[in-house]
Amino acid sequence: MTMTTPKGGCFGKILEIDLSKQTYKTREVPDDIYQKAIGGNGLAAYFLTTEYKAHKDPLAEDAFIFIGPGPLNGTYCVSTRTSIANMSPYTGLISHAETGAHFGNEIKWAGWDGIYIKGRSKKPVWLSIVDDKVEFKDATKIWGKDTEETHEAIIKEMKDPYARTAVIGPAGENQVPFSCVIVERFRAAARSGTGMLMGNKKLKGLAIRGTKGVPVVDNAKFMDMAIYAKKLAVDREAWQGIKRWGTAGLLEQNNFFTGSLITKNYQTTWYPDIVKIGAEEANRKFWKRHVACNHCPIHCLKLGVIREGKYRGMIAEGPEYESGGLLGSNLLMKDFSAMIALIEACDAYGIDNISTGGVLGFTTELFERGILKPADLDGLKPKWGDGDTYMELIRKMVYKEGKAGKLLSKGVKKMAAEIGKGSENYAIHVKGKELAAHDPRGDKARAYSYALGSCGGDHHEGASTRALVIFAMVNSLCMCSFASALIWGGENAKITVGMLNPLCGWNMTEDDYWATGKRILTMERCFNVREGISRKDDALPKRLTTENLPAGPKKGAIFTAEDTKKMQDEFYSFVGWDEKGIPSEATLKTLGLEYLIDDIAVARKEYKL
Amino acid sequence: MNDQNGGFVMEGKEKKFPDLFQKETTRRDFLRGTVVATSSAVAMATIGTLASKSAHAQAAPPAPQKKDLMRFLFAERENCSGCRACEYACSVYHTGVVRPSVSRIHVMKYKDSIDVPVLCWHCEDAPCIAACPTTPKSIMADPNHNGIILNEKTCLGSKCLKCQEACPAQYVLVNPDTGQPLMCDMCGGDPACVKACSDQSGNPQGPCLMANKLGFGVNLAFRNVTPDQAGADLLDLTFYPSVDGKRITPVKTAKTKKVRR
Repeated sequence: MTMTTPKGGCFGKILEIDLSKQTYKTREVPDDIYQKAIGGNGLAAYFLTTEYKAHKDPLAEDAFIFIGPGPLNGTYCVSTRTSIANMSPYTGLISHAETGAHFGNEIKWAGWDGIYIKGRSKKPVWLSIVDDKVEFKDATKIWGKDTEETHEAIIKEMKDPYARTAVIGPAGENQVPFSCVIVERFRAAARSGTGMLMGNKKLKGLAIRGTKGVPVVDNAKFMDMAIYAKKLAVDREAWQGIKRWGTAGLLEQNNFFTGSLITKNYQTTWYPDIVKIGAEEANRKFWKRHVACNHCPIHCLKLGVIREGKYRGMIAEGPEYESGGLLGSNLLMKDFSAMIALIEACDAYGIDNISTGGVLGFTTELFERGILKPADLDGLKPKWGDGDTYMELIRKMVYKEGKAGKLLSKGVKKMAAEIGKGSENYAIHVKGKELAAHDPRGDKARAYSYALGSCGGDHHEGASTRALVIFAMVNSLCMCSFASALIWGGENAKITVGMLNPLCGWNMTEDDYWATGKRILTMERCFNVREGISRKDDALPKRLTTENLPAGPKKGAIFTAEDTKKMQDEFYSFVGWDEKGIPSEATLKTLGLEYLIDDIAVARKEYKL
Repeated sequence: MNDQNGGFVMEGKEKKFPDLFQKETTRRDFLRGTVVATSSAVAMATIGTLASKSAHAQAAPPAPQKKDLMRFLFAERENCSGCRACEYACSVYHTGVVRPSVSRIHVMKYKDSIDVPVLCWHCEDAPCIAACPTTPKSIMADPNHNGIILNEKTCLGSKCLKCQEACPAQYVLVNPDTGQPLMCDMCGGDPACVKACSDQSGNPQGPCLMANKLGFGVNLAFRNVTPDQAGADLLDLTFYPSVDGKRITPVKTAKTKKVRR
């Protein structure tokens, strides 16, 4: 391989920002790195494995955040997104979050393949990026404001209504480990702990505007495939429901048919009251309009306005399946407006909906069982369905206020360790991160994503062995899984290669597609192996493997130890990892990851694997 | 396209109203910059299905047509989902690749809750043309289809931009390469944005963009509204409509009060 500049799709340039010195420079990235790692998460995994040594402090001054679009961003390709990846200060592992909207495409149009942010500013700043021009702006005045006010203040100062933003809220500033980045007010890159990292770097937000176009090597061929791919997303019959109802439609579906709607901190999956907070209710009294991401025909985001109760008049987004599950059925909410207010409060504070819902459910169960007393929670008495108490707990969490705030803002895993008294039996997390809203007992395929995915507890990493590889590609291409992987099915490799080759001037084959996906997964895995992750960590929490579902369409279902073993064996052998879940030396050589062989050998010795 | 799209399909309309939609379109390439002409030919060859009609129209000899074939762009703004397919189609038609900054139509986010399509209404009296100081005029309305055509050779570009000042709808943006205004030329009478919009709309809302022979005067009504005003108006219309003569007053807001300590 030679050091060549990419011909199309990518610019070969990454914007490297040093917040300590308040300087920026261009980092050249050769074409063969893109061929190996694609972009987005893949590129982040490459940087994380090459630049970090084992046991890096995730909050060190030179710890970096990589905001990466992929090669397809900014082209005619349907629905492209943004990935934000870093070593998570929450789990200490590699973590990535994908988010919609237009931010990633604007990065490409500004002429960058990604933004790499390191260093730590002395005072709060936000970054203005207009094409090649980067400015460090004073954020003292907006520090402490919520994500909505921050967004508006930044757009006002940009004097450009077409600029796009990614900002953190008070949760990130106050170093809540599961705080998130809110992109364009309603989209969240939530599961990577990036909010905390940005807060640590005193970086309040970014605003970006680009005016360039992405070069395409063979436009005619590329457009043919891109139009074909887009047409599948437009016409797909099964997808008309998502267009109409968003992912909220799954709330009812997973309760009444799939049996996987999490309820009461994963105690059951049967919650008939979901009709009071589900998609139909949202349609009846909340939704006002459909909002699409970049070039997407699916417009799954629904905006609405709360029309009753004390939050009347508040414009909010949702419920989506995950937010409606975690902050709705998981907490047995019956008051629709109160649930939406919780979701919007999380967005405004810049805190992860999923982890927050997990923490609140866990807290309520512990309180119900008498493990937590009112004295532990500043006198608050959380009760299933009590929106006001939950709102107060979220506020305390965000500001780490009082005993309750300090305890809850640690997340489920550390809370259980601190509380003890058997509370770990009710702690629902994988690799230290709370699970999303699909109960794997009812929907076994989801266990692949939760248990085997690199980030842990993540619902967006593919629900089968092959899907894990496909999603590694999708998340590196930064595409929407609704508009790509899930629609293309068996054609995934064909369509992706069919778009990438004419776009970038590559000669990728379908075999290369699978190898690239496996390479990205293996890089991410190697990073985690260095931090002590192995087969024992690729498992579901105790409750899901020991308690049968008590009710609902999948009554009696359980995720057995055999299920776990089968899933792990199948996946490890597919990606070429050994029975301990460690990438074998042969695999590393085949995938061109020789630089990781030594690291893995050291980790094997260190953790006796 | 299937029936799932709620019947909001241009092909369907064409069948129903052949006289309105199936007219011969002409493209007067000599008025357009050569770069634009050649690159758009490439674009049309590539976007195939999207631009099939313009592609064969290109071969037809330019023939002057009657005044009553004027067409107008129109946006059903409440239907806009902010997907920017129009920007994509416009830039692909004019430059061959996706590049929203040279698109002749824009989707503006207003307070991040509303998407406002910002487009040329093709006013009959065209204040932009009236304001153009060059002789002959560097921008002129195509007599066949009402599109505004820019002569890149004579336009003074960033030194002048009188057209930008004159536009009551604050529609005109500037090409970042040339400094010249981005003018909607109606793609030779068959706007690519309209096709792109109807291609991916439907279920549950219909397309936002339309091109009609008749302006119904809406172009005159809408043209005095700036994108910001349209956004404020749409925000009210969408989220706070009057109920029994009483407007839902936004509480500003429980959420922000909670966040601020």
